[in-house]
Amino acid sequence: MEDYLPFVISGLGLGAVYALSGVGLVVLYRSSGVLNFAFGAIGAIGAYVGWSLLGADWPQGLAWCAAIVTSMLLSLAYGRLLAPRLSHRDPTIRSIATLGFALVVVGFTEWYWGEQPRRLVLPTDAGAIEFVLGEVEVRLTHTRALGLALAVIMMGGVGLLLSKTRVGLKMRALADDRDLSALLGIRVLGVDTVAWVLSGAFAGVCGLLLANIVRLQATLLTFLVIPAFAAAIIGRLHSLPATVAGGIAIGVLEALAITVPGFAAFRTATPFLIALAMIVFYRTGTRPA
Amino acid sequence: MKRTKKIALSAVVGAMGLAGFGGAWAQSGLDCGLNNGKPAAGEPIPIGAVVGKTGPDDFSASGQAAAAYFKCVNANGGINGRPVDYIVVDDQWNPETAAQVASKLVKDRKVVALAGSTSFVECGANAKMYADEGVMVIAGTGVPRECFNARNYVPVNAGPRVSATIAAMYAAQKYKSKKMVCIIPNIPSLGNWACEGPKEWGKKNGVEVETIAIDPGSADATSTMLQAAAKKPDTIIMNVPKGILVPMLAAAEQQNLGKKIHFVSSAPAYNAEVPKAIGPYWKGNFDVNLEFNPVESAGPDNKNWQAVMDRYGAKSDPRDTFSQAGYVAARLVTQALLKMDPKKIDRASVTDALRKVTDFRSDILCKPFYVGNGNRHNANNSGPVASPDGNGWRFAPGGCLTADDPELVDIRADEVKMGLK
Repeated sequence: MEDYLPFVISGLGLGAVYALSGVGLVVLYRSSGVLNFAFGAIGAIGAYVGWSLLGADWPQGLAWCAAIVTSMLLSLAYGRLLAPRLSHRDPTIRSIATLGFALVVVGFTEWYWGEQPRRLVLPTDAGAIEFVLGEVEVRLTHTRALGLALAVIMMGGVGLLLSKTRVGLKMRALADDRDLSALLGIRVLGVDTVAWVLSGAFAGVCGLLLANIVRLQATLLTFLVIPAFAAAIIGRLHSLPATVAGGIAIGVLEALAITVPGFAAFRTATPFLIALAMIVFYRTGTRPA
Repeated sequence: MKRTKKIALSAVVGAMGLAGFGGAWAQSGLDCGLNNGKPAAGEPIPIGAVVGKTGPDDFSASGQAAAAYFKCVNANGGINGRPVDYIVVDDQWNPETAAQVASKLVKDRKVVALAGSTSFVECGANAKMYADEGVMVIAGTGVPRECFNARNYVPVNAGPRVSATIAAMYAAQKYKSKKMVCIIPNIPSLGNWACEGPKEWGKKNGVEVETIAIDPGSADATSTMLQAAAKKPDTIIMNVPKGILVPMLAAAEQQNLGKKIHFVSSAPAYNAEVPKAIGPYWKGNFDVNLEFNPVESAGPDNKNWQAVMDRYGAKSDPRDTFSQAGYVAARLVTQALLKMDPKKIDRASVTDALRKVTDFRSDILCKPFYVGNGNRHNANNSGPVASPDGNGWRFAPGGCLTADDPELVDIRADEVKMGLK
């Protein structure tokens, strides 16, 4: 067991950010019915903005805020300018359109910032919770611990928003039947704005954390939406606690996969395999309303 | 650059520079071909290059440097009056495209040779065709195994296997390391091969070297570093591209592994951006082997490369090791062509002339370079070592180390045959 615990701890931090990303995806899906493939790209550009501002000696807090605001604005721009034009199309088309947007954003990010190696350092990297397991020492940096805490807090916060607030009720109504909700007097664009801004905020926070924990590289960050989707699928695109648990499980299993001889060099397949297994597992059921 | 670096460099490059680059300089301060300042106007000599420009990374710097050098040659009398028609094609990191564009160069454009090619995929796709067609490739930078195992493909660089072997030898010499872990991406034709050099050298020298093949797309660098540390090595050899290296060193730093384990790397880590990206934790705590002498070195040929790039290259062309390699390849081909009768330049005679190159000198390289008649080529197998000093690189005293990779036994035998040893 001692041999595996370091990898469990290592996977916890990454899994937490997968979980947080999964919550960001679910919140938009539950309110607008769109699966946002641009989530990673929107987060990535925010992280690049943060990195540039930190390089220009902006204060940490201000640079973080600017990064998150960039992601929120970009998400809002898509949600207000492009998404409404597709609102009456098939859900698959609405989701695939976000993939097109992701490719534009990642293309711009790579063109503007280039492919030089970069590192986004956060002040929370300096401290760590240390675990001594026999002869092995493992450190869970405060950045990773922050990711874990945020995943749980945001799960609770978003859950309350959707179930207990008026705007949450409107968001759920809109996702359920957009036309009927509009007829009942719900201000569709206003509710959409809240959903896309909220999703952008999640993308911005996850972008910063992933750029720190994983690497500041636009393409990789864009495609880290895949483990987040796997987490959301575990939650059946509805349950926030299951999404969070799924995200953490994916992170931990991906880390543990390094101990499996023969599979270690292919462990990025872990989220795909888990998502596939869950789709097969859920195949007979229907998604809860 | 820091003064200390310059002092260390002078020892490395000084003697070779004086011995190997004593040719006349053109009035412009550039040394290109005939140096007569007269534009070449005869029948063009077609020379090609295959580069991976569009794709996961831009590998066109070697081609850009070779193009700049050939422009300079054409402006200075060309090849005894004949200009070089340098044709660079992009393989888009796609083996199928690589085969198509190389075939177009060799079979349609009838190039007499290729110079400055740098591609991740073309060695596997085209090496046999080059041999069948009797055309030589003096490549800038080769990466996969096939580039160092082909009769007509001659990379100017050392390659990841030789570079990692030198890094391991340096760790054994400096830190007395007895147990090492070599980390390599599981990329076909690169994979374990590039870590087999340190491993086989280790077997001969009482050093245990284990290999960890990693998924380069993995988001989880921490687990890789923990897995490497769990093997309790004295040294970890990083044999990965710079884009993966930076997050892996960040993960090692977060686990504070740099205080218990020495970290060394093969050549990809030598990049102007890396010291800043990895941060002060690694200052003097990370050693990198270089395939060439440093880009800032003061040797006359290195200075000439910089001057050629400034005069004939684009401002945006990188001034990196890829560029150095392309320049060296173009200069080697030019030097061989200049010894030929300009009326009798065809593919067969050029291939013959290139195979006779046995003592090409440049202070960019640690040792004289050769092509020879061998069935494979790895003439560059020496290089210096550098460590990050915060914002740049500080070079280790002692100059170049030569790889003692047992796989080079046939190369050493060829060197003996050519009278180079």
